[in-house]
Amino acid sequence: MRTNRLGCFTSTGIIAALVTAFTIAGYAYARGGLMYNPGLLNSQSGETLGGVTSHAEIAGDCEACHTAPWDAAIMADRCAVCHTDISLQMRDVASMHGTMLHDNPQLGCRHCHPEHRGADAQLTEMDGAAFPHEVLGFSLNGHQLTAARGPFQCHDCHTDNVSTFDPNTCDACHRQMDLVYMTAHTLSFGGACLDCHDGVDRFDRNFDHNVFSFQIRGRHMGLACAECHFNARGFGDFQVTLQDCYSCHRQDDPHEARFGSNCVDCHTEDGWTPAKFDHNLSAFKLEGEHAEVSCESCHQNGVYQGTPTDCFSCHQQDDEHNGQYGTDCAACHNPSDWEDADFDHSRSTFPLTGAHVNVACENCHINEQFQGLDTACVACHAEPAFHLGQFGIDCAACHTTNAWTPAEFNGQHTFPLNHGDGASCATCHSASFTTYTCYGCHEHNESNVRSKHLEEGISNFQNCMECHPDGQQHEGGEGGEGN
Amino acid sequence: MLRGNRELWLAFLAMIMITGLYGFIVVFTREIPPATELFGHGIGILGFVFMLMTEVLYSLRKRSRSVKWGRMSNWLQFHIFTGLVGPYMALLHTSWKFNGLAGVTTLFTVIIVVSGFIGRYIFTRIPRTMDGLEIEGTLSQEALKQARRLMALWHTVHIPIGMALFVSAFVHIGAALYYATLMK
Repeated sequence: MRTNRLGCFTSTGIIAALVTAFTIAGYAYARGGLMYNPGLLNSQSGETLGGVTSHAEIAGDCEACHTAPWDAAIMADRCAVCHTDISLQMRDVASMHGTMLHDNPQLGCRHCHPEHRGADAQLTEMDGAAFPHEVLGFSLNGHQLTAARGPFQCHDCHTDNVSTFDPNTCDACHRQMDLVYMTAHTLSFGGACLDCHDGVDRFDRNFDHNVFSFQIRGRHMGLACAECHFNARGFGDFQVTLQDCYSCHRQDDPHEARFGSNCVDCHTEDGWTPAKFDHNLSAFKLEGEHAEVSCESCHQNGVYQGTPTDCFSCHQQDDEHNGQYGTDCAACHNPSDWEDADFDHSRSTFPLTGAHVNVACENCHINEQFQGLDTACVACHAEPAFHLGQFGIDCAACHTTNAWTPAEFNGQHTFPLNHGDGASCATCHSASFTTYTCYGCHEHNESNVRSKHLEEGISNFQNCMECHPDGQQHEGGEGGEGN
Repeated sequence: MLRGNRELWLAFLAMIMITGLYGFIVVFTREIPPATELFGHGIGILGFVFMLMTEVLYSLRKRSRSVKWGRMSNWLQFHIFTGLVGPYMALLHTSWKFNGLAGVTTLFTVIIVVSGFIGRYIFTRIPRTMDGLEIEGTLSQEALKQARRLMALWHTVHIPIGMALFVSAFVHIGAALYYATLMK
């Protein structure tokens, strides 16, 4: 015992050390690294990869996963032998694994997927901050702190398994944050949170709707989302919400669509009143001086519907014609000025034609009487003495308004009017229409007629028509004999 | 020498404090400190350093045979203190898993501690000076002879167990270094 050697290096001590070393070396040679096995491999069955359904089935075959220090291959290469789908993902930066490796090239499979932690241990354990959660369709931007203001752990949301997610987990936490809001929210939009929310969005009370085409202003501010987006379930349902006023406000329209469906023509989001009404969209356009008068001038007592649009309903007291021109003021007047009237006589029952056009109004409308005048010719034109009682009083039967002459007789004329060539009325009726002469014609001069009738022994030849009622030469024979 | 059992009380006090810290970590992290993380690994390394000191420093002092390195009784007290506290820390390092070589090393550790206890009580049966030298004449020759025989026997058991423990522990540490650095 009392030697210069250290106390431990006794012969038995050295032997024990050597025996132990050889035992370990022998075991290592026989069983590989199994003596360093830190725990059981996972035995949860999954899909069949590499001929097995769980890591536990290859327990003892250390080299299936582990490589020697001098080997060029690394553990990740061994993983890829079975997990070919993940191996493909690792080369695709659009995939979850590809993104992770792109951002952290030094990462190996085992850094997130530890093993030897027991048959039922999680196969994925990792630092949440390094995980590109957004690649899976849900960013963790909005989930920095839990409802209890602590950092998020995977199992806070993935209660059973990191590869599964139950939307009720959202509900449980968010109800802790605001029970009333969440109750109303899930009632309005359902419980499939991920249909709308991707973690990047801020569809909460700080949500800025104005990034979209439908700007929220005035009374629309403060409305619950569901008031416009009723029964919306997926994100697409929000996008297809109709933006025209009437889609929501049809039942609010007291005008019953008479003013169309585009409420903003008159109203703003600040309220239904005050409204800026464009009267020209109504059936009664405001023109001329109508545009200047106050609404109450026509719409008394706040009644806007059923206001008559005829002139006389408002302007009866303005009628200087005392109703003589009827009630259609617009027939002559325009809305700009009463004085700027433009009376078109031709629209009356007595259109002015011919010589009437240039006659002064007062000639007919004596004492400014415009209504009820007799339109018969004789009302103005007294029957001339020369055909008094001969042609009746229907002047227009023979005359036109252009002039009294020429006139065209259309009445009963017993003597043929085709008698003689180019004869006018005056040829026969030189003195009056009630008398005639046959001597107006060159053939019938009195001396010639006398000599011819005396040759025949006819002395009473003064009354030509008695023997020649149709102007024929021989008609007078019998008459002559008779007379 | 080695009157009373001051070193046992100090070791017990140290173990109570370490247990308190361990309990605090368990409550705070809500898990058994894993052997691979800061606390579990740290306590394992520290425990091993204590165990190494237990072995090497006492052996060196015995070898020096010089009082200038301190009294043997104090070194023995230190040996017993570190020989209790070190293994206890190594035990907490296990995270209560005893498979593989690490489990065997733990088993050796437990055995050596038990063996140390036995040795302490055999050792104290022989009257000694503060420097560890036997004081003759206080025991009957027969009793002294028996005690010396027991002590020699104990040494032939205690030291090989310790050697086996350290070989096993070094391989365990080597493997840990390998898996931490060379595994790829």
